[in-house]
Amino acid sequence: MNGGGSIAEVLDRLSRSGWREVEAFHKKGRSRTMRFTPYSDTTSLRQEEGWSVRAGDQRRSFFYAASGTPDPGVPWPEADGAGLRLPSARPGSPWSAPSNLDAPLIGEGEARGFFSGLARELDNELAGARLLSGYLDDGSSESHLLSSREVATTVRHRVASLHLEAVGSGTESTGVVLDIAERDARRFSPAALARRLADLILVAEKRSSRSRDRGELLLAPVVASGLLAALSDLWIGPNARQLTVPLIDRNGRIGSPALTLIDNGRLPGSVLEAPFDGEGQPTRKIVLVEQGSFRQPLLAWWQCGSNPKLASGCSLRPGWRDLPRPSATHLYLEPDRTVRAAELIQNLTRGYYLIGLDGPPRIHSDYSRFAAPVRGFAIAGGKPTGTVARVWLVGSVSTLLNGIVSKARDLTFSAIGGGMVGSPTVLVKGLELRQQT
Amino acid sequence: MLGSMSDAPFTQLDTAGIARALSQIADRPSDLADVFFERSETIELPPASQAPGFRVWREAGLAVRLVREGRSWLAGRDHIGPRTFNDALRRVARAMPRAPYPEPELAAEPWDEAPEASEVLTFPTTLTRALRTHHVDFSIDLTLRRHRRWTRVVGTQLASGTESENFYSCDVEMPWGRYGTLLEAFDGESAEDLARRLVNLYRARDATPPDAWRGVSILGASATAILLHEAVAHALEADTLAHSGHPEAALGVRMGSRLLDVFDDPASAPEGVKRAADDEGFPVVRRCLLRSGVIEQPLCDTAWARRSDRLTAGAGRRGNRHLAPGPRSSHLELVPGELSRQELFADAEGGLYLPEADRGHLDPITSEFALHFPYGHRISHQIPGEPIGPCWLKGGLRDLLDKICGIGAQSKPAGAGWCAKDGIKLPVWATCPEIRVEGVEITP
Repeated sequence: MNGGGSIAEVLDRLSRSGWREVEAFHKKGRSRTMRFTPYSDTTSLRQEEGWSVRAGDQRRSFFYAASGTPDPGVPWPEADGAGLRLPSARPGSPWSAPSNLDAPLIGEGEARGFFSGLARELDNELAGARLLSGYLDDGSSESHLLSSREVATTVRHRVASLHLEAVGSGTESTGVVLDIAERDARRFSPAALARRLADLILVAEKRSSRSRDRGELLLAPVVASGLLAALSDLWIGPNARQLTVPLIDRNGRIGSPALTLIDNGRLPGSVLEAPFDGEGQPTRKIVLVEQGSFRQPLLAWWQCGSNPKLASGCSLRPGWRDLPRPSATHLYLEPDRTVRAAELIQNLTRGYYLIGLDGPPRIHSDYSRFAAPVRGFAIAGGKPTGTVARVWLVGSVSTLLNGIVSKARDLTFSAIGGGMVGSPTVLVKGLELRQQT
Repeated sequence: MLGSMSDAPFTQLDTAGIARALSQIADRPSDLADVFFERSETIELPPASQAPGFRVWREAGLAVRLVREGRSWLAGRDHIGPRTFNDALRRVARAMPRAPYPEPELAAEPWDEAPEASEVLTFPTTLTRALRTHHVDFSIDLTLRRHRRWTRVVGTQLASGTESENFYSCDVEMPWGRYGTLLEAFDGESAEDLARRLVNLYRARDATPPDAWRGVSILGASATAILLHEAVAHALEADTLAHSGHPEAALGVRMGSRLLDVFDDPASAPEGVKRAADDEGFPVVRRCLLRSGVIEQPLCDTAWARRSDRLTAGAGRRGNRHLAPGPRSSHLELVPGELSRQELFADAEGGLYLPEADRGHLDPITSEFALHFPYGHRISHQIPGEPIGPCWLKGGLRDLLDKICGIGAQSKPAGAGWCAKDGIKLPVWATCPEIRVEGVEITP
């Protein structure tokens, strides 16, 4: 599995064999992971390398992926099925690589210290609360892409992800889960994470006494991001414009003036920031919804028909085993830089602050209504007065989009479906909470 | 279609030299050091409209591991060779001798056979023919895969033989839903079985879910297999048990009905996936998880077995070389009871027959359990009658397993599927009879 060759040689070999459309991809990476539990820990040092080829003509095609260095001499599979079309090279705008791409991976002692500190902070925040397990992955990678259509790109990434599971001390306590991602693992703060876990545990331990309620609802970034992601068909792909038509009001809007949705594959400082996507197409900032008005969907090069100007580099290719597929890169609700999340809470006279999703939101097949399992705090006069758990946040999609009253500046991303989806804390009116049966 | 390489890609390894090299880093009496060799291939035929049309993934690599006093270090590489082995060895070593042993010979057999799978290419036609015999006509998008994997573990004290697995998976997209399963082969028999399941789904596509029901329910062999996987196997994995104390404390605890005798036996799994050793190189055992409803031996890997004389290793599984092993089941067996099908369905008028489950979940903290059935039938005149729509079985684990009140006499391979606990995808298999439960709540 170690051919010792290059993707240029692979491209040359296949082109000489008569294939008109050929693309070769090579990725190398290294990562340090630590899995932590109260009874053991496992440190893993991975060096991963692999390559892949897409080749075909108008009638048939194949995909071949292998670990190790590229090998132009492998026995290729027979082509079959549909024909293959690849994108041509397109120039990208200037881009400066982030400075922390080369920062060293987190050390074993650092990782162990991080988890010990987090367990200690969690117990300080909420006596008896325990960290059941934690998984930290800190890695860097470099990928190269060449194609018969003169695409030649190099992309580097640096991503750290963290998965935490914790539980409270109460007999009715259920486990809680927290997933976050950053460019650099050293940005994970044990104190801040312990506070978030403690809040999630607190609200998980008690059920709401009301069977249903309305009021002002403050959605934490993870809740709002989950809803945006669940509605991704409204923003992404060639059917998006059609799907939003029933949501358009007499002013031509699908949402409130506070609704501005953006996708930006080169968002500075973001986790997946890159000049090109997984097919070598330049990434860029695209406004999908502007102050409530739908502008355009997020489209890959092959989805925009006769109008290539609509295309954006939005093909995700997480690794050499993966085929590229269109997805959000960094899809986010534009924050309001002047408002702190704490101000939104303080100004809440009566309502709920929903801080976690207990599962994926459910969207009706015609995008008319939604239901999301949530947990959070009841708020009165800007202060928490109780908790709500095992409740559904329900309403019409139109009410959700039009009910966004204000936003904070705390834009936070969650890794969803391979891409990053983000939102600040948002204040929404018109939705309802219902007890789960 | 298996080429000569497939039989034993790791026969030429210098196991003595590897063990000697590993002994350099296992310098304490209780240390465990090993190297896991892996080669795998997946061949996929996507739906006809999708490009690229024929897809192949081939991987080879190794991972060196050191286990010491509750801590593990693992170094994985995507290549098999003396240098990568030595580099991985240095990465996990807490200290290396000043004069290390020479690099061992690490020549895996060359992989020069062409990636072919004619049985994958012909299966769509075979399945279409099988569907036509049921006189139904609906569109399906098929994704078919053949999975092959070879592994070998060499440690300081043992060297397993090469383990191989060869099986197939199938994902079917239909206008009203999705169906996925694992198969032992792509042949006429499996096509007929798959066609029958798809037709059942088709005929129940518009059926109304049942009202909440607490009477008799009969679970088909496939549904029983998924229930056992989620409710017994996951609950008895040592790392799950550790959420609420030492796994050893579970031994001898009653978990369910006295009718339940449940084993995990990788050696009696279907022909293509049966195993002699686990992914840590330990010989597999016919592990009795439940005897008469009482916990006898949880699922343990080496790390857990080293913590207690009463726990037995041999159930360590790895998703791939880059992941540490964990305790998992491979092939579950529910020992058949004595009830004929007629006896199983006796006095069950108006009850529910639930032939298949498509997903389940066990909360390891609260032991709350949920199992989803994509469709079922209302029992009428002691046989499955009119179809019913999707429904859930929910409740506490102990309560649910206590309410199993009858076990069929006829056992069969059933419920094969992917387990995705902790995001690690592993194929699991089962051999089960049908079971009868009473007093469990089934809800829409």
